Amino acid sequence: MSRPIRSVAVVGRDVPAWLTALALQRAFGRQGVSVTVVELPSALRAVDAVIALPALEGLHRLLGLDESEVLAACSGVYALGQQFANWSRSRPPFVHAYDSQGAALRQVPFLHHWLKARAEGLNVALEDFSLGAAAAKHGRFIVHNDATDSFSKARNGYHLDAQSYVRLLRQKAMAAGAQRVAGTLDRVARTPTGVASVTLNGGASIAADLFVDASGPDAVLAGRALEVPFESWSSWFPCDRILAASGPRLKPLPAMSRISAFGAGWMGMFPLQDRTPVVAAYDSRRISDEEMARTASVLAGMALGDAVVSPLAVGCRAAPWTGNCVAIGEAATCLEPLDAAPLHMIHLGISHLITLFPVDADNLLEAQPYNEAVLSHARNLRDFQIAHYRLNQRLDESFWDGARAAEPPPGLAYKLDLFAARGAVALYEDETFQEENWISILIGHGLIPRGHDPQADAMPREEQIQSFQRMLGFIAGEVREMPSIEAQLELFAPPPSSASF
Amino acid sequence: MPSLPTPPARIRDIVIVGGGTAGWMAAAALSKVMGTQAYTITLVESELIGTVGVGEATIPMITMFNSVLGIDENEFVRETNATFKLGIEFAGWRREGHSYFHPFGQFGVDMDGINFNHYWLRWMQAGGGTDHGRFNAETEAARQGKFGRTGDGRPTGLPNINYAFQFDASLYAAYLRRYAEKRGARRTEGQVVKVERNGQSGLIESLLLKDGQTIRGDLFIDCSGFRGLLIEETLKAGYEDWSHWLPVNRAAAVPCAKVEDPVPYTRATAREAGWQWRIPLQHRTGNGYVFCDQFISEDEAARLLMTRLDGAPLAEPRILRFVTGRRRKSWIGNCVALGLASGFMEPLESTSIHLVQVGISKLLAMFPKGGFNPLITDRYNAEMEADYVNIRDFLIAHYKITEREDTPFWRYCKSMSIPDSLATRLEIFRTRGEAMVVHHELFKEQSWFAVLVGQGLTPVDHHPVADLLSEDELKLRLAKVRTSIQDRVNGLPGHQQFIDKNCRSAAG
Amino acid sequence: MPAPLRVVIVGGGTAGWMCAAALVGAVRPGVCEVRLVESDEIGIVGVGEATLPQIKEFNEYIGVIEADFMRKTNATFKLGIEFVDWGFKGSSYIHPFGVHGKPMGGVPFYQYWTKARQGGRTDDIEDFCLPIVASRLNRFDFPTTDEGGINSTFAYAYHFDANLYAGFLREFSEARGLRRTEGKVVDVTLRAQDGHIAAITLNSGEVIEGDLFIDCSGFRSLLMGKALEVGYEDWTPWLPCDRALAVPCERTGPLTPYTRSTAREAGWQWRIPLQHRTGNGYVYSSRFISDDEAAATLLANLDGAALDDPRPLRFQAGRREKSWHRNCVAVGLASGFLEPLESTSIYLIQIAITNLLKLMPARTIDPALVEEFNRLVDVEYERVRDFLILHYHANIRDDAPLWTYCREMDVPESLRRRMRLFQHRGHIHKYGQGLFAPPSWLSVFVGQGLRPAHYDPLVDNLPYERIVAEMDALRDSVALAARSMSDHAAFVDDYCASPAAVRLREGVAS
Repeated sequence: MSRPIRSVAVVGRDVPAWLTALALQRAFGRQGVSVTVVELPSALRAVDAVIALPALEGLHRLLGLDESEVLAACSGVYALGQQFANWSRSRPPFVHAYDSQGAALRQVPFLHHWLKARAEGLNVALEDFSLGAAAAKHGRFIVHNDATDSFSKARNGYHLDAQSYVRLLRQKAMAAGAQRVAGTLDRVARTPTGVASVTLNGGASIAADLFVDASGPDAVLAGRALEVPFESWSSWFPCDRILAASGPRLKPLPAMSRISAFGAGWMGMFPLQDRTPVVAAYDSRRISDEEMARTASVLAGMALGDAVVSPLAVGCRAAPWTGNCVAIGEAATCLEPLDAAPLHMIHLGISHLITLFPVDADNLLEAQPYNEAVLSHARNLRDFQIAHYRLNQRLDESFWDGARAAEPPPGLAYKLDLFAARGAVALYEDETFQEENWISILIGHGLIPRGHDPQADAMPREEQIQSFQRMLGFIAGEVREMPSIEAQLELFAPPPSSASF
Repeated sequence: MPSLPTPPARIRDIVIVGGGTAGWMAAAALSKVMGTQAYTITLVESELIGTVGVGEATIPMITMFNSVLGIDENEFVRETNATFKLGIEFAGWRREGHSYFHPFGQFGVDMDGINFNHYWLRWMQAGGGTDHGRFNAETEAARQGKFGRTGDGRPTGLPNINYAFQFDASLYAAYLRRYAEKRGARRTEGQVVKVERNGQSGLIESLLLKDGQTIRGDLFIDCSGFRGLLIEETLKAGYEDWSHWLPVNRAAAVPCAKVEDPVPYTRATAREAGWQWRIPLQHRTGNGYVFCDQFISEDEAARLLMTRLDGAPLAEPRILRFVTGRRRKSWIGNCVALGLASGFMEPLESTSIHLVQVGISKLLAMFPKGGFNPLITDRYNAEMEADYVNIRDFLIAHYKITEREDTPFWRYCKSMSIPDSLATRLEIFRTRGEAMVVHHELFKEQSWFAVLVGQGLTPVDHHPVADLLSEDELKLRLAKVRTSIQDRVNGLPGHQQFIDKNCRSAAG
Repeated sequence: MPAPLRVVIVGGGTAGWMCAAALVGAVRPGVCEVRLVESDEIGIVGVGEATLPQIKEFNEYIGVIEADFMRKTNATFKLGIEFVDWGFKGSSYIHPFGVHGKPMGGVPFYQYWTKARQGGRTDDIEDFCLPIVASRLNRFDFPTTDEGGINSTFAYAYHFDANLYAGFLREFSEARGLRRTEGKVVDVTLRAQDGHIAAITLNSGEVIEGDLFIDCSGFRSLLMGKALEVGYEDWTPWLPCDRALAVPCERTGPLTPYTRSTAREAGWQWRIPLQHRTGNGYVYSSRFISDDEAAATLLANLDGAALDDPRPLRFQAGRREKSWHRNCVAVGLASGFLEPLESTSIYLIQIAITNLLKLMPARTIDPALVEEFNRLVDVEYERVRDFLILHYHANIRDDAPLWTYCREMDVPESLRRRMRLFQHRGHIHKYGQGLFAPPSWLSVFVGQGLRPAHYDPLVDNLPYERIVAEMDALRDSVALAARSMSDHAAFVDDYCASPAAVRLREGVAS
C-alpha cells in the first residue's frame, strides 16, 4: 500500500525557499498537499541581485507571476546576455548573448563560413552577426517579427533585486496558501534514511513527509543532518570569496551584465533600475577583502557602498535528493555567480521535483532519476564556467596561469578539443547552454578552430560577402527598430523626472 | 457700391510710424520683399519715446520670418544675445507645486491616421503612465537642458527638434534696423505732432514732425504702440476690451544677473494675482510679473517681483500698463496697425512678435498696388480678428482650467464665464482628447493637448482607432517612440555647449 | 577552393545509394568527388522495407519529390507498426507516429488515462490516437501543419521496395555526377604510415584511390571489418534472433497503412504492404527453431500466395565497435545490425550520413571528427537497441522458450531503470538527442501489458469529471477525424500509383 505525500516542509531561506514553496503550492496545494516554509534568517543583503536566464520567464508564467509586476517590484532590468572583458589582454570584450550567430548558408552552419572568411581576412567579429548581441550592445529590448524569428533565437533575461524578489515570492506563495514558520534551527530529528522533523529555537517543531533543504551553503538538512558528502570542484575554481556591493544607476541602462577579469578574480556589474549591483569573485589569498573593495570600485568606475563579503565553495552534493530530503539551490549545487547559473540551478531543481514529485512517501524511486538529471545539468553548467578560466589569455599572471593550467574535467576537455579541431560543439544530455552559447564563449575567448567544414569552402567569395552584408544590414535595421530597454521598462515603472516638470 | 475716391497712380511711399520690434520688423520685411527701388520706406521714431522691449520669447514661426529675410541664424542669435527655446514651463498654474511643459513639436508619431495622443490616452486611461512629456523630444531635451539643430535634411528616423528664440527685444529691433537701413530703408528721428488727411478720401497724406519736417506717404504703418497714433487717435478704430476674460493689465519687468547656464525654455509661474515670466538670455535673465491691479497694487507687485529673482537685479523694475484686447480694425483706409497699436495680449504664450509677423505677412500678401480695396481691407481685418480670437481663447484656457482657489484672483479666473467657442472646445476635449483644431489656427492639436492636459483637463476617452491595436502592440509602439526620443536627446549637446560652439554673443 | 575530397563508396543497396545521393545531392559541387563501386552479382539484401518519418527529411534534404519517389518504389504510407502477440498472446497494439491524446496542464495524456483506468474506466488508450484509429480503418491523409488541430498530431513514413529505392537514388545520383563502377573489391591497400585505406582494387584490376572510404558492403564489412579489423560487439545475449527468411506474396485484402509484426514461437514475422505485393519475413533465433520449421511457419502465415521461395539471411545482432575508424566510415549493415523490428535500419543509415555531413572531413582527417562521429552514432545505436530489447523482455508468454529466455535475461541497467520508473509512476524521460521519444516508449509499455502503479500527482489538479469529459470529447474527435480521412489504397492510387500497381489493378479489373 502506498502512502501519498501530504506535507512538504521547505527548510531554508530566500529565493530557493520561496520559489520552491510557490511552485509546490501552485502545483499541489489544491490537492491538499500542505507546504510549509520553515524560514531561517535571510542571508540576503540589500546589495544582492538575482541574475536570470530567459528561461525564468516560462517558470514565472506557470507560477502566475506577471513579468511587468516582477520588473516593477524588483527594480528589474532586461538582460540579453553577459559581456566578458579583460579575460585576455589582447582580445576585445565579447558578448555572450542568449542568441545564435548568423544563419546557415546552404545548410552549412554559419560558423564555418565565418571561419573561412576570417582566414581570408574578414575583420568582423562573429558576435556582430548575432542579433541578440547587437541588441544587447545597443541597450535594446528584443522584439521578434517573422523575419527575426527565422534568423534569431534571442530572448530577454533579467536582473532583479534579490530582497524584493524574495518579498514578492513570499507574498505570492503565502497568498496561494503556503504556510510560514520563522525562526532559527535548533535540531533535526532523523529517521534511518531521512528527516522526521525539524525543531526551531523556541520549540516549534515541524514534521513532514517530504523535506526540501533550501538553506543555502549551510545545507542544514542534506549536509549537516544527513551528511550527504559534498564534492568540491575547487580545483577548477580558484576563487574562494565573493564581495557584493552597490553603485549608482547607470545611464543609459545597459542591456547586459559586464564581467571584467582582474589579477585575482573577476568583477561583474549587474545593472538594475535604481542602482548597479557589483559582485566580485576572488582568491582571498591574493587580495584582502579591503583591497578587493577598493579594486571593485576602481574596476566599476563608480563609488561603491555597502560592500559585504561571503565565502565561496563551488561543488555539489553527491546526491541532492537523499531519503526524503531534496536539496535545492546551494544546498545542492554551488556554482560561481557567472552565466546566471545559480538561479538556473534552483529553477532546474524545482522543475525536476515537480515532474518527479513522489507518489509514494515510502518508496522514493524518483530520487535516483532526479539526482541523475540535476547533477548532469550541474556538471554541464560547471563546465561552461570552467571554460572561462581554462581559456583565459591573461598570460604571466599567476592566478590566471594557474586557472588555465588546471586540467579540465574530461567532458569539457573533449568539447574543447573537438571545437579547437573543427568548430563542432559536442552537446551532452541535460545541457542548459546550447551550441550557440558555447560557440559564443569559445570564440569570444579566442579558441579559433584549426579547421572548418570544407563545404563552406565551396561557396563563392562574392556570394559569401553578399550574404554577410545582408545579415549585417538586416541586424542593424532590426536593432534600430527595437525599443530601448529603458523605454520598455518605463512603461511599467517610470522613473521620476529630475526636472520640475 | 460707393465709388472709390480717385487713387494715386501707384503706391510708392511707405511710412512706418514708430520703431521697436514692430516697426523694424515691418521695415525689414518691406525692404526685403518690396524693396527700395520701386518704393521708399521711411520709419519715423523718437529716441525719446522709450520702447517697451524686454527679454522676449518667440515661437517657431519666427524662423520662417528670418528665412524670408535671409538672415543667418547664428549671426542673429549672436547679435541679440539670444538663447534657444523649446517650449514654456507652466509652474503652479494647475495647482501650487505642480508644473507642466508646453513644448513645440508633437507628441509621439501619428499612427494609422490618428494623432499619437489617442494612443497615449488609451495607455494612460488604462492605468499606464501619466507623463506624456516622455513622448515629446522637446520636453525631454528641455528636462535635460539640451539643445541642437536637427533639420539638416539627413533622414535619421529620429524626431526633429522644433525651437524658437529668447532674445533681447531692443537688440532685435536694432538688428533689424541695421538690416533694413542696409537695404535702403530710411530712418527719420522725430516726434509726430500732426497727422494730415485728405479731405475727400480721408486717407492719411502726411505727418508733421515736431521739428517741422513733413513726411509724405501713400501707405502708413502704425507701430506707435498702445496709443495707436494713427489707427486710434486719428482714425478712431475703436478697441475691443477683453479684460473680463484676461484680467491682467499691468506688468512689472526687471532684468537680473545670470546665475547658471541658461535653460532652453521660458518659465511662466503662476502668482497670487497673475504670473511671472523668466526668460533666460545669454548674458542675463529677463523677468516680469504680469498682474491685475484689481487684485494687487503696483508697488506690491514690484516688490514681490524683486524678491523672486534668482540673480541680482540689474535695474529698477519698470511698470507697463495695458488693456488686453484688440483694435476693432487693424487696417483702415491706407493705415495698417501692427504690434501694440493693433492690440495686446499678455506674453503668456509668446505671441506678441508672432502677431506682428502675421500682420506683416498678411499685408505683404494683400499688398495694395494702386488703390485700397475695401474687400481686401475687410478680409485683412477678418483674418487678424480670427487670429487674435484664437490666441485669446487659448490664453483664457490657461486661467479657466485651474484647480487653484487660494486667492481672489484665481477664484475669479476659475469661475469666470468664457466664450462659447472655447467652452465647446473644452467639452469636446474632455470627452475624447481632441481640440478639433482647424487649419488656419496658430495653436495646433499638440499645443491644446499639452496645455489642457497640463492644466488638469484629462480626457475620459479617445479615438476608437487607437483601440485596434493589441495591448502588446501598443506597448511596443510606445516603447519605440520613447526609444527614438531618447536616442535623439542623448545625441544632443547641452544648451550652453551648443551656444558656445555656434553662436555665442560678445556679452554672453 | 581546396582539392575535393575523394570519397569512395563500396557497395550499393540502400546504404550505398543513400550515401551517394546525399554526397552529390546535398553537398555543394566541388567539395567531394564521389565514386560508388557495386557488383550486380552480389545479391542485395533489399526486401520490402519500412521506414521512420525522418526519411522525409532526408528526401527533402537531397531534393527528392515525394510522389515521384513513391511511384518508382511501389511505396505505400506508414502510420505505425502493429505488434501482435508481443507481451502476451492475443495482444495487439500499434506503435504510432504520433501521440496518444494531448497534454493537459502540461501533463501527458496517458497520465490522465491511467487515473481514469484506476477509477474504473476501460478506455483503450489507442482510441485517443488518430494515426492508430486511422490505421485500423485503413485510412490515410497528409497531416496538416496548423498546430493545435488534431490533424497535425501525427507524422508518417513509407513502406517501399528497397531495391527500387536504391535504384531511384542511383538514377538521382548519377544524374548529379556520381561515378558508378561495376565491380567486386578483391583487395584493399592500406597506407604504411597510419593504416588508412589508400586504395581498393577491383576484380577488373582497376585501382581506386580515395581520401575517405564508406563501407556499405553489408554484413561482410569488407573494409571496416576485414581490412581494418575493427571488432564487432555482439548483442546476441539480448537480441537472440540470428536468422531471417523473406518472401513476397500477392497483395490481398485492404492496403494497410502500417507494418505488422507478429510475435511467433521463436521470433517474429513482418508484413510490409507495398503497392504491387506484400513483403513478409520471419526473423528468428536458430537456437529456438530450425530453418525448416521457420520456413513452414512463414509460408503458413501469408495472406496471399507466395510469389517466390523464401530467401534466407543470417546475421548477428550487434555493431562494429566503431562506425568510423581512420578514413573508413561504415554505414548500414557494415556498421551493425539491429533487426528491423522498429524499422530502424534506414534511420541508422540516415544518422550516419547526417553526422558525416556535419563532420565532413578535409583530406587530412582530424581524429576529433572521428571520435565525435562515433560518440553520436554510439548513442543512437544504444538507444535503439534498448528499445528493441524492451519488446522482447516485457513479455508474460510462457508458451515458448524464447520468450521465457527473454523475460528472464539481464537487460542493460539503463533499460531496467526506465521500466522501473514507468511501472512506478508512468514517467518516461525524454532524451535530448535521438530515438525513441516518450510516446513510442509508452505504446510499447502499455501495449505489452505494463501499467504504472501510480500516476503523476499533477493529474489530481483537474477534477475527475473534467478529465473524463475531455477524454470523451477527444475520443470522439479522433474517431471523426479518422473517418474523414481517405481510404489508404485510394489515396495511394490517386497520388502515386506505380506502373506495377497500375498493371495489377488493370489485371485484376480485366
